[in-house]
Amino acid sequence: MTVAILMPVRNEGDRAKETVASICSHAEDFGNVVVYLVDDGSQPAVALSDFPLQNGRFRLVLARHAVNLGQGAALETARQLALSGGQFSACITMDSDGQHSVEGALAMAHAIFDGADVAFGSRFLGRSKVPPARRLLLQAARLLDWVVSGMRLSDAHNGLRGFSASALAKLKLKQDRMAHATEITLRVSKFTHRNIVEIPVLIRYSPDSLAKGQRAFGALTIIEDLLTQYLFGEVP
Amino acid sequence: MSAATILLLALIFGLVFFDVIKQLGSNRRSLYLEVAVFLVGAFFILIPNSATQLAHLVGIGRGADFLLYPIVIWLTRESLLNRRRHFESSTRITELTRALAVATAREQTRSPMPPVHKLSD
Repeated sequence: MTVAILMPVRNEGDRAKETVASICSHAEDFGNVVVYLVDDGSQPAVALSDFPLQNGRFRLVLARHAVNLGQGAALETARQLALSGGQFSACITMDSDGQHSVEGALAMAHAIFDGADVAFGSRFLGRSKVPPARRLLLQAARLLDWVVSGMRLSDAHNGLRGFSASALAKLKLKQDRMAHATEITLRVSKFTHRNIVEIPVLIRYSPDSLAKGQRAFGALTIIEDLLTQYLFGEVP
Repeated sequence: MSAATILLLALIFGLVFFDVIKQLGSNRRSLYLEVAVFLVGAFFILIPNSATQLAHLVGIGRGADFLLYPIVIWLTRESLLNRRRHFESSTRITELTRALAVATAREQTRSPMPPVHKLSD
């Protein structure tokens, strides 16, 4: 079994190194693992030499956006690299800032191995200590996702997700910025044959991750991006 | 002449003066168009009743509405066209950046590259 991990990174410094090192040390638990790391215009640029050397179980592919495009664009670049990079049994999307644990990624992979097409991580089903302001914002995002996609999930905008190879092939992302999370839910809702599960995951909040996370103003930007895509772009 | 008339005319001629200075030495055709439109605007500011008379001619009650309706229609169209252009440019930048990223993606080799030694300064 090979698991592809799609990981956008921007100005994460040591946190990205620790996250990748943690995956490398658990590579055997995945079977084989290939991390597709997309540097979305970090300053300074992410260097390949910062990460563990590849071995029989672990590989790392690094691509760099010359300019910052956004997390959605970085995920789409990683998706395209994964689809052209050889066969895999499951694909996981994961943040590089240390919020997501390897155990959560493993749970996603096992859900796909067990037959799910798509696995969404849910911090509200897990034991995550979500700050009240963030909880309120995420409930609003859940409501938006429900209205847009018709899918009623227990969490929204959770970066830990799992996809089968066939599901990933159908998931071409057009939203460059944070609206990609709603776009993923919307595109998955259009799948004709689908086995979708929610998996409890633990999100570790730190002052840094909270400072970099989404804010109420960001929610308005997401709605604007979705509307712009609806008016001028390709709609799923 | 009211204070509002003086202020509006000052704004128009100030902007034209600024744009003339800014566009010295470059193609001035858009400047001529701007001056023509601003002169029409200055005419309606100086003689407000003329807008009302024209409005009555075409069956609109007020001169302000006669000017406002086409301006709102024009600005709405311009706003949508600008948003579309911005969206299409952003999409092209994304595709270009992604193509470059995919083409230059690197993978670690099993043996790290040997360090580069300077032979001499």
